[in-house]
Amino acid sequence: MLAALRNLRRHPMRTGLALAGVAVTAAMLLDMVLLSRGIERSFERLLLGRGYQIRVSPKGTLPFDTEATLAGAAALRRTLEADPAVEAVGPFLGTSLHARRGDSLVTLFGYGIDPAAQALYQPEQGTDLEPGDTLGVLLSRPAAQAIGATIGDTVTLVGRLDPQTASAAVERRLVVRGLVRWLYDYRGQPSVGTVLPVMQDLAWQRAEDRVSAMVVRVREGADPEAVVERLRAAAPRVEVNSVAELVAHFRQRLVYFRQLSYILGTISLGVTVLLVATLMTITVNERLGEIATLRAIGIGRGSLVRGVLAESLALTVAGGTLGAGLGWATAEYLDRILTRFPGLPAAISFFVPEPRSLALAGATLLLTGVLAGAYPALLAARAPIAATLRAEAT
Amino acid sequence: MLAGMAGLLLVLGAGQAGRLPGEAGPAAPAPAAVPVALERRLAERLRAGVGDTVLLSLEPGAPVRPAVVTAVYEPPSDPAGVARREYGLRFHLPHLADFLGAEDRVDRLAVALRAGVAADSAAARFNQVAFGFRAFPSAEIADQASQTFVVVSRFHDAIAVISVVASAVFLLCIMLLKVEERRHDAALMRFIGVRRRTIFGALLLEAVLVAAVGSGVGVGLALLASAAINAYYRRFFDTALLFSLVTPGVLAFSVALSLGLGVVAGAVAAWRLVRTRPLVLWGRG
Repeated sequence: MLAALRNLRRHPMRTGLALAGVAVTAAMLLDMVLLSRGIERSFERLLLGRGYQIRVSPKGTLPFDTEATLAGAAALRRTLEADPAVEAVGPFLGTSLHARRGDSLVTLFGYGIDPAAQALYQPEQGTDLEPGDTLGVLLSRPAAQAIGATIGDTVTLVGRLDPQTASAAVERRLVVRGLVRWLYDYRGQPSVGTVLPVMQDLAWQRAEDRVSAMVVRVREGADPEAVVERLRAAAPRVEVNSVAELVAHFRQRLVYFRQLSYILGTISLGVTVLLVATLMTITVNERLGEIATLRAIGIGRGSLVRGVLAESLALTVAGGTLGAGLGWATAEYLDRILTRFPGLPAAISFFVPEPRSLALAGATLLLTGVLAGAYPALLAARAPIAATLRAEAT
Repeated sequence: MLAGMAGLLLVLGAGQAGRLPGEAGPAAPAPAAVPVALERRLAERLRAGVGDTVLLSLEPGAPVRPAVVTAVYEPPSDPAGVARREYGLRFHLPHLADFLGAEDRVDRLAVALRAGVAADSAAARFNQVAFGFRAFPSAEIADQASQTFVVVSRFHDAIAVISVVASAVFLLCIMLLKVEERRHDAALMRFIGVRRRTIFGALLLEAVLVAAVGSGVGVGLALLASAAINAYYRRFFDTALLFSLVTPGVLAFSVALSLGLGVVAGAVAAWRLVRTRPLVLWGRG
């Protein structure tokens, strides 16, 4: 290895350029590895963040994917809770509504939840809603800012506006109990939350007891996939999905990014092989005289092959190490760009490091170094001793 | 689209053949059939054509209504919805409103203004008297709707910058090695009295030729790759959208960059070579 490093130092400019080339392509490879599975992992963490492993939504839809709702929520909840492996079921309703601010209306997104079984928010300040608290409301920070309210203030929520009569069908005055972070909100989304019956009233969905979806928590030790199958049989008129299935749906939606990452990652590896192989081939050709001399004094072919491979590996490892830092910085930059997708939950990240993916990328890069050194190593091993020495002497 | 429309469930009326998987069995016949147009992909999936009857239901177990397919249409290609793969069907507004039980309710209205009326000022006037709705000029909606593509475009630009840097370094390295491979030739020419300028020119010309041929091959590869990408994704998403577009501007930029970098790299390497003493180049210095 020391000899390999010494050889690389003989041509500082060419080694420097080769290192720069390997570093940039390794950075691209790292970014693409992070991208290929990052968003799935990020989405999975988001879904499992509150410990609910199953989602129930209207047939043919995914939660919050359409405006379709489930009727008869209480009966459906009882059906789901009847399964012995189900620990908790949390219904929720999402709807658009308004808040009064002076003589104008601010448009908000409203969540109706059961505070005892919810997977939608994380309390940040103040107190949480109590089950049955029909006078309280939770605000996101953007919502608090939009309506100019803080903890303890009374706000007026308005639902079902009628443009023809210029009046609101429903209006509720509620006290702000706390500020929360809604897990599925996009950046800056002004959202509010109340207990489910209040939001059903505001959305005019109380009569049919409608909800957008339900979350289900499975008891420890139970297999969520088996529970999903049982719930599907128990409630055939709704869509029941495990988190793994939702992640698969999400993966299908973002197939473009995964395929792009595979293509660019492969191109990066190809460029690395070409660059290192070209450099090593020319270097070996230049040193044919030296190689022939070494062979003439008894150095074995194996030693020469190992030397060339070590040089190739050294170049790849050094370039890869530089590339890791560069890749990390560019991943953060690219993530800042992609997370600005409209409507994307702020908690989602596209570039997520995973030990297994990183190890795979490192191993692939090392293999690339060996592959790139294979042809020049073969050249070194096959160099004709006598002819090369004669040519060098003339 | 009216609220709830996305939750429509379809059961083909003529027997079992076209039923969507996972749905309940045949529903009871319903009274008056309404006309409906099916999106081509949906018609293919249901194996339904013009004249067939489909039974529509808002959700499993809800009352069904018959509808007669009067048209099969191909929706305009929409990049925003290509990954969602939703199926569409079109009703006359009163039929859908009646079906949804949302009589005289709509999601949105499109307004055509008289010639000479500015959309911005008209929208502002509507908003002054608005209650329960908001008016937007079409340009503003288009601007908001295109935000997704603005983000994708920025991402592509960033990836392109990284690719260009990687290609530039690769090109510089290859050209440097290519010229350095000619050390012995350059030394020999110097020994027989060829002037440095001539050697420099010859090496530079060689670099230009390599860069030109490489650029040509690169353009060919880019066109092939672009065609392959379009063929694959058009089939994958069943759409007429273009996913890769090689424009003259992109080609001109790429060729200019590769030629420029090739020439600069060749010139730097040739300059280093002609400044080195011939004996050193020959390996005896």
